[in-house]
Order: sequence, then C-alpha cells, then structure tokens
Amino acid sequence: MAGEKRITLEIFRYNPEDGGEPFFQSYEVEYLNHWVVLDAINWIKDEIDGTIAHRWTCRMGVCGSCGMMVNGEPKLSCHSLLRDYAPGPVRVEPLQHFPVEKDLMIDKSGFMERLAEVKPYIIRDDVNDTGNGEYLQTPAQIAAYHEHSMCINCMLCYAGCPVMSLEPAFLGPAALALGQRYNLDSRDKGQAERVDAMSGDEGLWGCTFVGECSVVCPKHVDPAGAIQKGKIAAAKQWYANFIKPKGAKK
Amino acid sequence: MSRSNEAFWWSLFAAGGVLGALFIPVLVLLTGFWLPTADPVEAAEHYTHLVELLGRWPVKILLIAVIGLSCFMCAHRIRHTLMDLGLRGHARAISLACYGAAILGALASVLLVARI
Repeated sequence: MAGEKRITLEIFRYNPEDGGEPFFQSYEVEYLNHWVVLDAINWIKDEIDGTIAHRWTCRMGVCGSCGMMVNGEPKLSCHSLLRDYAPGPVRVEPLQHFPVEKDLMIDKSGFMERLAEVKPYIIRDDVNDTGNGEYLQTPAQIAAYHEHSMCINCMLCYAGCPVMSLEPAFLGPAALALGQRYNLDSRDKGQAERVDAMSGDEGLWGCTFVGECSVVCPKHVDPAGAIQKGKIAAAKQWYANFIKPKGAKK
Repeated sequence: MSRSNEAFWWSLFAAGGVLGALFIPVLVLLTGFWLPTADPVEAAEHYTHLVELLGRWPVKILLIAVIGLSCFMCAHRIRHTLMDLGLRGHARAISLACYGAAILGALASVLLVARI
C-alpha cells in the first residue's frame, strides 16, 4: 500500500454468538491524505482481519449506513478524515444507545419501528390519480418542511441524544422530525393520525432540548428545531382541546 | 400513548423564556448597573421616574408576567435537568418541588409588584 502516514485504529469487537465479552482490537494503518475512517476499516477488513463486521454502502454521505462512534462522537465514517484524528489512536465503536449485533453493526429494528409509528407519508382522503395533475406547492410551502426532509436515517441523532439512554421508549429525534416534516407539508392532512404517537410523553414531550441531535446531524435536518415546532403546534392543540366543551373533544 | 399535560408546563416555560430573553437583560442593566453607577442626584430622579412608571397597572402586569413566567421557565428547566441527571425515579416529587416553587414565586411577584 502506498501509505504516507501511520495511525492506529482501536476497533470495538463483539460477537454475541461466541459468548465472549466486548474488547478493543488495535490495527495500525498506513493511510493516504484523503482517506476517511471508513477507508481504513475497509482496508483492515480486506488486508488484515476479514472477521470485522461493519455496514457501509455509498461512501459519499448519502446512504446513511456507516454511522459509528469515532473517538466518542457519532459520525458518518465516510465523512471523517483520518488526518483530522492524527496522530491517533482513533477509537471506533458502534453507535451508542443501540443493541450491538456484531462489532460495529447495530440492531436497527427499534429505529425502523419508531419511524413507522409517525406514519411518515402523505395522508389525505382525496387522493388524486395522476390524470388530475400533481399537488402544486409554492416555494414557501416547500421551505416549511424542506430541511426536515433531508434525513438519510443514519441514526447519528439517536446516538447523540442523551434522552435515548435515559428513556428507552422515547420516539427519538429522527422519527419526530420526520413526523413533523409531514405535518408541515401543505399536501398532508394526517396530523390527527400522528398526534397520539407524537404528542405523548414518549414523543415530543420526552425531548429535553439538549440539541445534540442537530449538532451531530450530517445533513442539517435540525431535528431539535423540528421538535420545537412540533411542541408549539401540540401546545396550541392542548389549549384548543382544553377550552372546547367536553362533548366536542376527540 | 396518552396526550400529555406537559404541553401546559412547556407553554409556561416557552413564554417565560421569550419574555425573559426580551426584558431581563434590560432590567439587569437598568437596576444592576445603570442606576447604581449613575450620579446620586440623577439616580434619585431616575428612581422616582421608575417608581412612577411601576405605579401604572399595564407596567405592573408586564413585570408580574416577566417575573412569574421566568419562575416557570427556571422550574421547567431545572426539573428536566434533574431528570436528565438520572433522578427519573423521583419524577413526581421533583415536579411538585419545581412547579410548587414556581407557583410561590409567581404569587410573591404578584403581591410584591401590586404593593408598589
């Protein structure tokens, strides 16, 4: 390999099937100036130790599958230049707040169930067929939800959110931002169908506004901002329900 | 999931945060720095003006809102910080203590400001 500099990666190893305890394994890597952490892990897997398990697909910050804890921070490993961690060592761990399947791979099933809870799709009774044309939106209507629609489901926000470690039932930043993304979409009429999931103690109100989700988000989705907008809408709804006569409440 | 009454406490927190951010720096600057460091004769005049101003009910109501809602803002933030620090087992006691103190603070602001 035509490496120029050397750095040590300390990689989290764990295989629940062999009954062993988790441990860190060190690998020394010669790297090129443009290498990212993912390049080093792929090189280690190809050249030194083929037993390492990790997820990756696109290598360009689009697929959201290579999220890991890099020196204790949630990062896309394809966006983390090794030279920024020189002289090392670089400690690489699976995303925190998730069960570990093997080594750097986490179990995503809880996250996928959370996404489904907020019904992340446009809901309305009068579905047009394509013959009637598209649902048109003004630039302002698109701007209302656009930044919250950029999520790549990388789960870094779940690893960054301290509430996730304290409240395992918390719906979490990405799911709440996604629900809010559809609530803010002028084409959507499904807010009432999301309110039970989103406005409960494990939903919007579980958030204590630490804001770390927005700090670690690689796509500037600003989940913390989406959650705050959701809280304003939910509070308005709470007061509306409060002043309505009892028979009129849903 | 039940629809949460957290909306009520959060709305007081949010209102206190907005009013506090707008008015408290000005109040601290006026009463903490400007008046104490002004010329004593001038300061006495300004003080008289301030007391006159606080004699008006719209100003009193605004001041009560700023102080009272700021109490709720602090209570809500302290409550969530304590929960984040791992005291979730005592959630009820923490809520009672925090919001109870805020209610007392808000009542005290009503009594004190009304007497000006």
